[in-house]
Amino acid sequence: MTASGLTAGALAATAGQLALVVGGAPLLVGLMRQVRARLEGRAGAGVGQPWRDLRKLLGKEAIRPDGSSWVFTMAPLLLLASTLVITAVAPFLSTVSPVEGVADLFAVVSLLMLGTVALALAGLDTGTAFGGMGASRAVTVAALAEPTILLAVFALSARVGSSNLADIVESTLTTPAQVLSPASLLAAVAFAVVIIAEAGRLPVDNPATHLELTMIHEAMVLEYAGRDLAMIELASAMRLTVLLGLGANLFMPWGIATTVAPLPLLGAAVVFAVKLGVLGAGLAVFEVFVAKWRLFRVPELLAGSFLFGLLAVSASFFLA
Amino acid sequence: MTDTGYVQILDLVCGGILLTAVLMLWRRELAAIVRLLVVQGVLLALLAALMGVRESSTELFVVAAGVLVLKAIVLPAVLRRVLRDSGEAREAEPLVNVTASLLAAALLTLLAYGLSRPLVALAPSPTTRALPVGLAVVLLGFFVLVTRRRALSQVVGFLLLDNGITATAFLATAGVPLVVELGVSLDVLLVVLVMQVLAARMRLSFGRTDLDGLRELRD
Amino acid sequence: MMAISEMVHAAAASGPAATAVLLAPMLAPLVAASAAVLVGWRRAVSWSAVAASVVILVSGVLAAVATADGSVLTVGGTLRADALTAVMLLVIGVVAVIATWSGVSYIDQELAAGHTDGRGARRYGVLVPMFLTAMVLAVLASNLGVMWAAIEATTIVTAFLVGHRGGRQAVEATWKYVMICSVGIALAYLGTVLVYYASQHAGIGEQGSLDWSVLVANADQLDPGVMRVAVPLLVLGFGTKAGLMPMHSWLPDAHSQAPAPVSALMSGVLLSVAVYALLRYRVVAVAALDLQFVRSLILVVALASVALAASMLLAQRDYKRLLAYSSIEHMGLVMIGVAVGTPLAVTALLLHILGHGLAKAVLFCASGQILASEGTTQISGVRGLLARQPVLAGTFALGVAALLGLPPFSIFVSELALARAAADAGLAWAVAVALVLLLVVFVAVAGHTAGMLFGGDAAGQRPPHTPPHTPSLPRVAAAPLVTGLIALAVLGVVAWPLEQLLDAASAIAGTS
Repeated sequence: MTASGLTAGALAATAGQLALVVGGAPLLVGLMRQVRARLEGRAGAGVGQPWRDLRKLLGKEAIRPDGSSWVFTMAPLLLLASTLVITAVAPFLSTVSPVEGVADLFAVVSLLMLGTVALALAGLDTGTAFGGMGASRAVTVAALAEPTILLAVFALSARVGSSNLADIVESTLTTPAQVLSPASLLAAVAFAVVIIAEAGRLPVDNPATHLELTMIHEAMVLEYAGRDLAMIELASAMRLTVLLGLGANLFMPWGIATTVAPLPLLGAAVVFAVKLGVLGAGLAVFEVFVAKWRLFRVPELLAGSFLFGLLAVSASFFLA
Repeated sequence: MTDTGYVQILDLVCGGILLTAVLMLWRRELAAIVRLLVVQGVLLALLAALMGVRESSTELFVVAAGVLVLKAIVLPAVLRRVLRDSGEAREAEPLVNVTASLLAAALLTLLAYGLSRPLVALAPSPTTRALPVGLAVVLLGFFVLVTRRRALSQVVGFLLLDNGITATAFLATAGVPLVVELGVSLDVLLVVLVMQVLAARMRLSFGRTDLDGLRELRD
Repeated sequence: MMAISEMVHAAAASGPAATAVLLAPMLAPLVAASAAVLVGWRRAVSWSAVAASVVILVSGVLAAVATADGSVLTVGGTLRADALTAVMLLVIGVVAVIATWSGVSYIDQELAAGHTDGRGARRYGVLVPMFLTAMVLAVLASNLGVMWAAIEATTIVTAFLVGHRGGRQAVEATWKYVMICSVGIALAYLGTVLVYYASQHAGIGEQGSLDWSVLVANADQLDPGVMRVAVPLLVLGFGTKAGLMPMHSWLPDAHSQAPAPVSALMSGVLLSVAVYALLRYRVVAVAALDLQFVRSLILVVALASVALAASMLLAQRDYKRLLAYSSIEHMGLVMIGVAVGTPLAVTALLLHILGHGLAKAVLFCASGQILASEGTTQISGVRGLLARQPVLAGTFALGVAALLGLPPFSIFVSELALARAAADAGLAWAVAVALVLLLVVFVAVAGHTAGMLFGGDAAGQRPPHTPPHTPSLPRVAAAPLVTGLIALAVLGVVAWPLEQLLDAASAIAGTS
């Protein structure tokens, strides 16, 4: 295979990855709602419902509150754009990527943080009580969650000697026994907690409620409507997908393609979809059984996961 | 046993010991803490057995069995008895809240790593490289002792301290001489029994086992 | 004298005599304890504890005679006695004789006054001899791990002795005592483990060793990095048991709540046994590390303890706690000797341990009598004792005088020698600091004691529940106190019987 063929294949892989995540993210959310509905004895709206919601929202006019500035207008775009970039560079289908150097751990975490900050600023920009409250809560959670992601992935990268996500995934593929090392297990626990916090799931945030005392994410986006809301909903679903996808591929990378040949890529796409489906369903089942924590206990959970992340880093240094 | 397999299992066991110690700091239900203590006891016994395989010494297997009986069965049973008698299921609000304790635990782990540097430097090997785990558990035990207010939590802190020292002993020296090991185990058992009796007396005279009541003797 | 020495030596070579000398002091108290288990508190049982103490003392004397020339008695590689051990055996024996002797009348009075019952008395009769056994084992053990276990065992057996009187305060004191001491001594165990680890890599062989003599012989090969972690842990751990800063807070509570004879034993010997452990470890530590590190570490702990004790003594309102803080002060002084560590300092500190043990035994037992007759431990509740109870007040006053280092008592001699040793070692500043603190202690203790002895008989101020005065001190209670005081004075005037032994001991533990 020539260099140009490699690039073309890699571009195809990236495009496929983008299409899969953008198209699949609302379906994943739909699947999780459906699992939850069934477990609670309801019929549920069907897996495609989030897509139908998005279509409806896209057809509506975006209304912006009086006195809001460009920050409010830009936030959905920034959120969606940053999430799209992560989706494009992260090693979901293949470890070969046309934008090799960008799939860096620190770049990915910064992009995630960028989206969070944009949304928090937009929440403040509306000047409503709910927006401000949601923003302050979201930033509190993010302040603890982001360092934890950094630590958790750093623990994995320490033994590889590179903070490139693709390198970490490849190294896990070559020496599968690493997955059972304490560093990796601790990092997995920390990462799981962070996914829950970042994606605004129970017990940190309840994505299905508009109860003013508890909501975090919903409070920030309360003023959005129409196209803007559609962008935010899509971006949120994609963030969940990306986080779950990162978790899946960092700790169980089997099935990912190490070349850009069409057949392995197709296989990788199927495996990836299955992995996400299973993880999403598992998360939904978990959510049925937990209640939302009081807000002031959330830092406790995040401090715990931070500690796990730190232990993972130290374990990867002590015990290596 | 292959070398990498040994290292892998050793690391897992040590990681487990540290993890149970951290979780003990996190949980407030005393019954859950006692369960964690059982898990930690089993892990310690595994560690001793692992050393036994490594050194091919039957003595260490005997020690492992002893550790299993003492730390995973007898001592937790004593603690459960205290728990049942006292009827206090949860730790009172500890002096340092859980979030701060967890962050403190992170710092203590780093401190343990720093402290153990000269120890690892003496004889670097996969086994001694796990020494920070033992010291970290010792420090966490000390932290529980200082910040918890229930009598039972303090006993748990003491046992955590002791487990950390036991782990350190296995990792550093593959166990102290048998006669010392016996003496130490007997002492720990007796101390915990004494504390059990004291907790019962404390409940009789104070009506609870909250150590805040211990304020009468002072200058 | 020479004849006995030769006899013991001849016997020591053949083995059985050495075995008898080393085993008897451990077995005799056990016999007394089992007697108490079987028949409870009886006259004969109480005297059997005294007899066991005498056995310890006699063994100490025999061991002293045998080891004063620097030779060593061993039994089966687990028990070992050199001159240093012999000194400690003597201290244990002397204090135990006084404490158990006055314990006879103490428990009888408690029973008569209804403070304790048959079960409590039996428990006392069982635990006190076991306490003695544990301490004897601690000084006789050749293995530092066994020594550790024995010292920890003293915590366990004394736990219920501290809580002897029952009630909220006793429970509180016991809990603090058991918790703090167990944790402290656990740190010492960690230190012991690390020393063992270092020994495995010191050319002794794969197995390493915790045997003291083996460790001393190879001390210079112990890894300094590991020892630098181990030594502070050992100082902190055994320092807890010796009542030193920063983990001293159990001591005043435990000593003020325990029955007087137990307080005497704890203050007079138990603290010294912990110091003995540190003295043994110091020899190893100094060879493995640089002298300066060990010296400054111990000196900081020692001076801090003396300073703390001095400040707490000034405002003290309880005479048993007064004595307890005085113990912290004296252990601090002894630790200054350990820090200096020259042969002269070791000789002085051993003499100081002996003198302090005797003085504290007399004082705590006397304070038990004062408590029995006055019904309070408050200093302000005891007034004009000298007029009402001349014998008791006299022994108490002389004991305090001995404690404060007044001649002719031996503490005067040992404190002077300590000061000289420290000054010789270039630590004149430490001597100056200690002297200022001692002045504070002197003023505080003398002031409080003078109030108790002379102050006007404040009958009107005394709480109404005070029991009627016992007419005077019973002879069986006074005899041990007077004996102790005489021994103290004799030691101060003529130290010759001990000279050779102390020299031999300081050759073992001292490093120039």
